[in-house]
Order: sequence, then C-alpha cells, then structure tokens
Amino acid sequence: MLSDREAKELLNFLTLETRPDVKGQATEYILGLTGTKDGCRYLRGKPDFLKALLTLTSDSSVAIVKDCYHALINLSADETLHRALVQDANILPVLFSNLLDPTYMFADRICTILTNLTRHEKTCKDVFKVFQEEHIGLAKIVEILCTEDYNKKASLHYLGPLLSNLTQLPDARQFILDKERCVVQRLLPYTQYEASTVKRGGVIGTLRNCCFDHAYHEWMLSDAVDILPFLLLPLAGPEELTEEENEGLPVDLQYLPEDKKREEDPDIRKMLIETLLLLTATKAGRQILKSKNVYPIMREFHKWEKEPSVISACEKLVQVLIGDEPEPGMENLMEVEIPEDVEVKLQDLDVKEQEQIEKEQEELIRAATEENSAREES
Amino acid sequence: MSRAQDSDSDDAMDEFMEKFRKEKYKGAFNVDNWEEEFEKVPMFMKTAPKEIDPKEHPDLACLQSIIHDDDRPPEEQAKALKDEGNEYFKEKNYKKAIVSYSEALKKKCTDTDLCAVLYTNRAAAHFHLGNMRSALNDSLAAKKLKPDHVKALIRGAQCCVKLGNFSEALQWCDEGLGVHAKDVTLQELRATADKLKRTAERDARKSKVKEKKERVEREALLGAIRERGIKLLKPDKPSKHCSDSEEEDVGSTRALAELDLNDLCSQEATGFKVHLDEQGVLHWPVLFLYPEHGQTDFISSFNENDRFIDHLTVMFGEELPPWDTEKKYQPRNLELYFDDERGQLLQLENEMSLLRVLQNDRCLVKEGTPSFIVLVRDSAFCKSFLSGKKVHRLK
Repeated sequence: MLSDREAKELLNFLTLETRPDVKGQATEYILGLTGTKDGCRYLRGKPDFLKALLTLTSDSSVAIVKDCYHALINLSADETLHRALVQDANILPVLFSNLLDPTYMFADRICTILTNLTRHEKTCKDVFKVFQEEHIGLAKIVEILCTEDYNKKASLHYLGPLLSNLTQLPDARQFILDKERCVVQRLLPYTQYEASTVKRGGVIGTLRNCCFDHAYHEWMLSDAVDILPFLLLPLAGPEELTEEENEGLPVDLQYLPEDKKREEDPDIRKMLIETLLLLTATKAGRQILKSKNVYPIMREFHKWEKEPSVISACEKLVQVLIGDEPEPGMENLMEVEIPEDVEVKLQDLDVKEQEQIEKEQEELIRAATEENSAREES
Repeated sequence: MSRAQDSDSDDAMDEFMEKFRKEKYKGAFNVDNWEEEFEKVPMFMKTAPKEIDPKEHPDLACLQSIIHDDDRPPEEQAKALKDEGNEYFKEKNYKKAIVSYSEALKKKCTDTDLCAVLYTNRAAAHFHLGNMRSALNDSLAAKKLKPDHVKALIRGAQCCVKLGNFSEALQWCDEGLGVHAKDVTLQELRATADKLKRTAERDARKSKVKEKKERVEREALLGAIRERGIKLLKPDKPSKHCSDSEEEDVGSTRALAELDLNDLCSQEATGFKVHLDEQGVLHWPVLFLYPEHGQTDFISSFNENDRFIDHLTVMFGEELPPWDTEKKYQPRNLELYFDDERGQLLQLENEMSLLRVLQNDRCLVKEGTPSFIVLVRDSAFCKSFLSGKKVHRLK
C-alpha cells in the first residue's frame, strides 16, 4: 500500500484547512481505497485516517462531504473495520448528533452507516451502549421514525432497518416493549407504509424480533397493543369473505374494499408470516389467532401466493391454525425439549425442504426466462 | 375601638367581662333555623347565592369587592378570579366559572403558567357544558402558552374524541406522550381514540359495501322490469309510458333512472315490493279487488310465470271466503279485469300468466302493485259494473 512517509503526507492533506483541490483529490483517493477489500483492511490500522474522514464531513464542500460519507459507508460494510471505526476513531457521537439534527442534509447516509454497524451483534451492542451514554433513548429514534418530514432534506427511511438491527438485543427489545410507555404501538401503522419498502421492512423486522420474547405475546395480542391486525392487513386481499367470516375478524380487516392490494415484497410477506408463527408458540396466542379468524385470511392468501418459500411458511402457519392442540407439556412450542434423534431428523427434513424450495424457485425462473425468450423470438 | 390606656383598659376589660355574667347572650343560632343562618355566613356557605345583595350578605359582598378591586396588580386579581372560578366549578356552576375565568384572562397578566391554567380550566368548564369547540380552542390556547401542560393536552384529546376527530385526538396524545411518556391517562386515551378511529373506518367500509350491493340489486331489478317491457305508472304524474324513455340510449342509466324505485313503492305501505329471485324470475305483490263486496285479497309474492287461474283455484278452491254470501265466487265463474286508468277495462284470460298480462301494451303497474278486479260472470253486479264502460279483451 502506501509507505509511511506517503501515508503521513496524505494525512496532512486531509484537514479542513487544506486547499480545496488537494483536499478533494486526497478524499477521492481514500474513497478509492475503501472500494477494495485490501484498501479497507489497510485503513483498519490507521485510525487517524478514519478520524480525518469524520472531521471532513463538516467541510463546506458538498462534494467532499459526500465522498467522506461514501467512504465511511464502504468501511462500515466490512465487519472487520467496526472496532476501528467505533472504538479507535470514535465516530459515533458526531454521527448521532448529526442524525438528530432536523436540518442535516446527509442524515440518510448516517442511517446507512449505523445500519451497517448494527448488523452483527457485537458492534450492535457497542452502538447501543453509546446511544445510552449519549442519552439518546430509543424513544428518540422511534419518535423521529414516526414523524413524517422530521428532516426535510433526508427521508430517514433507513431508521427502519436500524431499529430492526438494534432489536436483536434484548435490552433494545425491552425498551420497545415497555408496558409503561407507548412505543411499539406507534410503530404498528408502518407495516403498511407505502412510501418506502426499506422502512416498512425495517419496522416489520423490528416487530418480528420483538415476538421472540414470548412472555410479551399476550400483551401484544391484547387491546393494549393489538398487533394482530397490523400483521394481517398486508397479507389480506380484496377477496370477499362471507358475512360470518367478516364479523369474526378484527375490525381493521372487515369489509376490505375491492382494490385492496397485498404486500408486494415477498421477503416482507415471509417476515409477516414468520411473526405470526412466532405468536402461535403459546397456547394463549394460538387461541387468540384461531378465534380472530386468521385462517380465512391465510386461506385466501395461500390461493394467491406464488413464491415457494412464502407458500411454505404460509402452510406451516395454516397447519398450526387448523391443527389440533399439542399434548400436555408441549403447549409452548418454544420451550419443548426435542430429543436428539428427532432433532436430527427434523434438521434433515429442513434441508430437504430447502432443497425442494430452491428447485421450485429455479423452475419458476427457468419458466420465466423461457417465456421471455419465446416472446423475444416471436 | 377602645381608646383606653393601660390603666383604663383593665377596668374596661373587667366591665366587658362582667357583661358575660350578667347579660344573656343574644344572637345565638336558633335550633330551628341554624342551618339557614349558617348558609348566610360566607365561610360556611354550601352554595353561592345568585346575586350577592350586600344587605343580605355583607361579608360575601365584601369578599367579592376584594376580588374585584381594581387597585390591585393584575396578577393578584387574575389569581383571585381564578379561585372564584374554581369555586363555581366545584359547585358545577360551569357558566359562572367560565365568566370568572374569562374575566381573569382579560386582565392580560404576563404569568404564562397562570394563563395556561385559566385556559385549561375554562376548557374543562366548556367541556362539561358540552361546548366541545370552545373547549378545544381553549385547550389549544393553553397548549400554545405551555406545550407541556398535561391537563391541556389531555383535555384537547378528549375534545377531539367527542367531536369524532379521532386522528386529531391521536396527534394530541402523541404530543402529550412525547413530553410525559409514562402518563397513563394519555396512554389510555390514545388507545381509546385509536380504537374508535378504526371502528369508524370499518363502519364506513361496511356501509359502502352495503350501498354497492343494494345499488347492484336495484339496477338488476329495474333492468329486469325494463327488459320485459313492463310499464310502471309514476305516482302523481300523468301516466308515462316507458316507450318515451326508449328513445334514449338503450341500456343507459339515465333511461333506467326514469324507472325510479319510487315508482315501485306502494302507498298502502304493504311493505312488499317486486323482487328478482336467484333464477332471474320476478315476483310481484298483487292485489285482487272485489268491488261487489268491497273486499280485497293481497298476494305478497306472485311469480310472474304463474297463471291467474292457478292462484284463483287456491284462493277459491276449498273454502269460499266468508263475505261470499251467495257462494258464487267459484274459480270457473270468475272474470278478471284490469283498469288502465284511461277509461278502459281490459279483460284477461284466466289462463294467462301474470307476465303476459303485464307485458301487454295497455297495462300499467300502479305503485308497484298490479291490481285486478274480480267479477262473477253474468252476475247482476257484474253487468251493472261493466255497463257504460269500454271493455277490451286482452289477447
């Protein structure tokens, strides 16, 4: 890479006071480095460069600031760089304060960096810790997320995935699920947020993570939170249900209009079904889902869905909804002890099922390509 | 009062004390009227008198004058007025409370906390009187002065709920929870407003679905009638033939609109209307008139494909009606006529179906209920009924 002397020289150019053209070239060079794995790894051992990048994000030239953020985004995408960024260069406090600034033009890029940093548990914990040290509650993040046009120059849609990543930590989940506050309730309407798939997916991911804590299930399904309609609405379609079926549904799902559209993104559809499945882990949860007519919704959904992996998830859910109750001692599916040989068999079945799904997906793709090429020829 | 100096004061004191031993205490409360008397003492008043007459209630008048003394600084006056308003409020005398609070606000004091409280309290008084708009405006004013004033935020949200503005109510709650995250009242209010909002949305969807279904059914019905070429007589208007509207586009909804559902409503309010069954067959409410005896028979659902003779056989088959004293209303003797309201009687053949009759050019359905006159062939009444009238046989 660079010799020590060259590195020192370059570092000298990376200051706010440097001449603009030289500054620009220097940052461009760094950006180039971050485009390669080797370049990133090189910078790992050079916290001064990282600090310089951070400082230059307050430069007066928009082009330079853009390059700096671009470089930081690239660096944050590489997990091996996380320690250097967070601990050695201590980028978080500055990033946070800019994030919360409603006039800050580059807030979206900060969101992306933070989303990268929080992807894996280790750095996620560090980020969460700094959040708390800087006295920025998750409350603030949720509030900004729920405030349309908080920042007129940035959409802040990536706060969705950021929140989703943070909730892999039990402490973050506890905050979202605080019964003494009104936090999770404010997120629910965003399961249908049409303006951004990223934000929508992030919120749903957050809800799915929250449902891992089955002690909260009854509360979440109760009127205090009422999560169920918000999970079902994106999966419900315009098909007419009988009057009887309608009256048994949650209020938000009754008498849906003819132009009702389902969630377009298959990954999000799958996440929603996974969340519903999580809620069927307890007996109480199963009873509530059965009594609120979830089955007819999933029945119509199953007829409509084309993606094999989503169909598979749907079938699992339907099985639980129409199947018999498990024997005593097995009521909480998350706490059941699975004997080792059964566990091995189940894993085998999972693998086979996955292979089957992949095969079906390939066939779908092949059929689509054949259709396309046929159309091109004719 | 006493100007006695020290030495004199002892004497005056002794004299004073002597009075207690000698004179009987006057002006004590009487066993019978002590409650009334109590009521007159401002301190013990349970209700404020409507008008404070200084002669009757000198003490209260005195207090009031203290309150309304314009020489004191505005803050003090406002505070005193606020207390006065609060007293009225406690007694549920909301109108008076509002007056007091308004007076206080007029003082234009600079203490924003006090003003916020005044607006909030006045909002509460309006709320209890059912003046939701005023209450909301006052809550808004309070919130402007003190954005974190919890009572104003709660009151504002409550007003929105009462006014049915559930989305706005949610905004108030979220604003409140932003400052007082753990406030239980705000959380519960938010949950209530949210539920009401979603229920209202459901109700709107439900009525839309119902409306559409009814519209579709109505159009199908009117379409079926029109298809068959059956003419409906519009009430209170000269008979209008459908052939007029046929000059417009066939199948246009405007033409259908000529056939108003009102034309199908019976003034007798029998509650029965023509309806189209699942097989596409029309069923009409039909009236049979027996002018000889001033009687009628009502068939609520006459299948258009049924023949008249079939119904007559059932109606006059086994048992003849009690009013048929001469026992002459046998099915085979009966003749059916239709009055075309233009001076002609149209005689049907009993083997005809209802549909065939209604499709006849000269037939008009009046008020949605075809009615037919029933006469006994060759009877005296029949002859006299038909004399002088133009009779036309339907083919």
